Amino acid sequence: MSEFVTRFEGRCWKFGANIPTDALVKSAYVFDPMEEIVKHVLEDHNPRFPLEVQPGDIVVAGHHFGQSSGRAIAAKALKATGIGCVVSNAFSRTFSRNVFEIGLPSLEVPDATELVEDGHHLVVDIAEGLFRNETTGAERRVPPASPFLLRMLEAGGLIALTQSDPNWAETAR
Amino acid sequence: MNLVEKILARASGRESVSAGDVVVAEVDRLVMHDLSAYLTGKVYDERVGVDLPYPDRVVTVFDHHFSPPTEQQADVLNRNREWAKRRGTQLFDCGSGNIHNVLVQHGLALPGQIVVGSDSHTPVHGAVGALAVALGNDSHAGTVMPFGKAWFRVPELVQIELSGQLRPGTTPRDVALWLVKELGEGSVIYKALEFTGPFIKGLGFWDRWLFPVLCVDLGAKCGYIEPDEVTRAFVESLPNGSVDGIVNGDGDPVEDVRRFDVSDLPPQVAAPPTVGNVHPVDDVVGTPVQWAELGGHGGGRLEDFVLAARVLRGRRIHPDVKLNLVPGNREVFRRALELGLVADLHEAGGTWFPPSTGSNQTANMGAMSAGEAMISTHSRNFPGRNGSTEASMYLASALTVAASAVAGRITDPRRHVSEGKPHE
Repeated sequence: MSEFVTRFEGRCWKFGANIPTDALVKSAYVFDPMEEIVKHVLEDHNPRFPLEVQPGDIVVAGHHFGQSSGRAIAAKALKATGIGCVVSNAFSRTFSRNVFEIGLPSLEVPDATELVEDGHHLVVDIAEGLFRNETTGAERRVPPASPFLLRMLEAGGLIALTQSDPNWAETAR
Repeated sequence: MNLVEKILARASGRESVSAGDVVVAEVDRLVMHDLSAYLTGKVYDERVGVDLPYPDRVVTVFDHHFSPPTEQQADVLNRNREWAKRRGTQLFDCGSGNIHNVLVQHGLALPGQIVVGSDSHTPVHGAVGALAVALGNDSHAGTVMPFGKAWFRVPELVQIELSGQLRPGTTPRDVALWLVKELGEGSVIYKALEFTGPFIKGLGFWDRWLFPVLCVDLGAKCGYIEPDEVTRAFVESLPNGSVDGIVNGDGDPVEDVRRFDVSDLPPQVAAPPTVGNVHPVDDVVGTPVQWAELGGHGGGRLEDFVLAARVLRGRRIHPDVKLNLVPGNREVFRRALELGLVADLHEAGGTWFPPSTGSNQTANMGAMSAGEAMISTHSRNFPGRNGSTEASMYLASALTVAASAVAGRITDPRRHVSEGKPHE
């Protein structure tokens, strides 16, 4: 297993509130190969995003990010853009589950979108619960994810966890 | 402990659990539809692949399709059929009805059980007193299928207590729409919602159904109604319906209780662009509609066709309107036949479709061009969900849908409902 990274630094892409999973992967694209799907992620909210996103960039989205359909492929498509992690004021419940299960680091920061603009340089540490805007100096401390979820991320996602740890079910708490 | 905690404790082999705990619990049923089954099956075959130890726990319902319109969709369905056969899981093929209706009607979602599914409206099974939760495809492929288990974080409970009696022309569906506005979209993320109070207790099973179905848009993890005599009578009427597993909460005081009186509520309409953009019908009266539909996850109940027939019997729909009638399952259609509703609504100009989820996401029907509008009993109205992003989706009760179909524009149904007669 490669070294588990929990700290991310990168350029900010900011999105609004109540963005549904349909905006990450439209129904029309769900059967397409990921290299096609990823060309359209969030295009309705920022057409530049799928064209210009760089590995290590950080997505910061508003309240209730990933609402609507529970399709895990929406989280996979966001991960496939190469972003380092995703931050939201509050994730939709299924989406908050999906990001850990597919191995995309995430952090909830209640006023994240009020602290950033596109292009700001951000530092996020999901194990420490740290969110810092290096461009403005704004910083927040939030509760980090539970040890079970961090273990899931470390393993590379839920399926990888169950395959690498036969006792996964006994160690959830 | 409350109902959710009790179910999770029992299914995870613990004496007790409380909010915030993460547990791994036995799952009784995994339900998938044409689209989610394809995605989950693919993940399973590529990354897990062992035999399913509990194939009878896995149910697939083809509900977005009642007949595939393209070769690609036919291929998807065939791969789903092949997967179900190879893995030995249960399959309800095209024409069976909408996923959640079918599961309940066949006694496959019972009180006290844990029901999971990828479809975001899975919490609706809380109507029978089950713990019903939407999970992602990787949960299903990674833990439910190979282990019969899933991980859960125990949610905090919010009680939604409803009292009062509805005025003529206002239906339980109007109350449900109004609640989304009153509570607020995304306002109770990760909570469990208990729908309670004299208004809820006075509803029949399929009207109670309208409340946990709205959980997802509020952000909640699940919703339920404490099983009572109504639940028992309904479950016992089902083939294979068993009340043996009934779980009730201990009735401990709940910290967060939201109380609402529904007595003065006028009919409600959710206008674009979201389910929470709910207005009294007066605000949108007169808006032209070209499409009207009784169907979808929240609609297509026998109750919807009974209400619509009160408006449409002996009348004709407006010549500019197409009225789609989509039963939630085959039993609904059989009952509609027996009650004469099929003929009544046909004579009024409506078109009966096979049991399915109707025009939801336009997998086989219901696409609109720019400038068109639909009023329906569906659960979603995001722009672009049914064709053009410049088409409009309005969500309302079956009474309002029927009244609007007659007028060709959104109409207050109270003009069709005689004074003093409560909703049926």
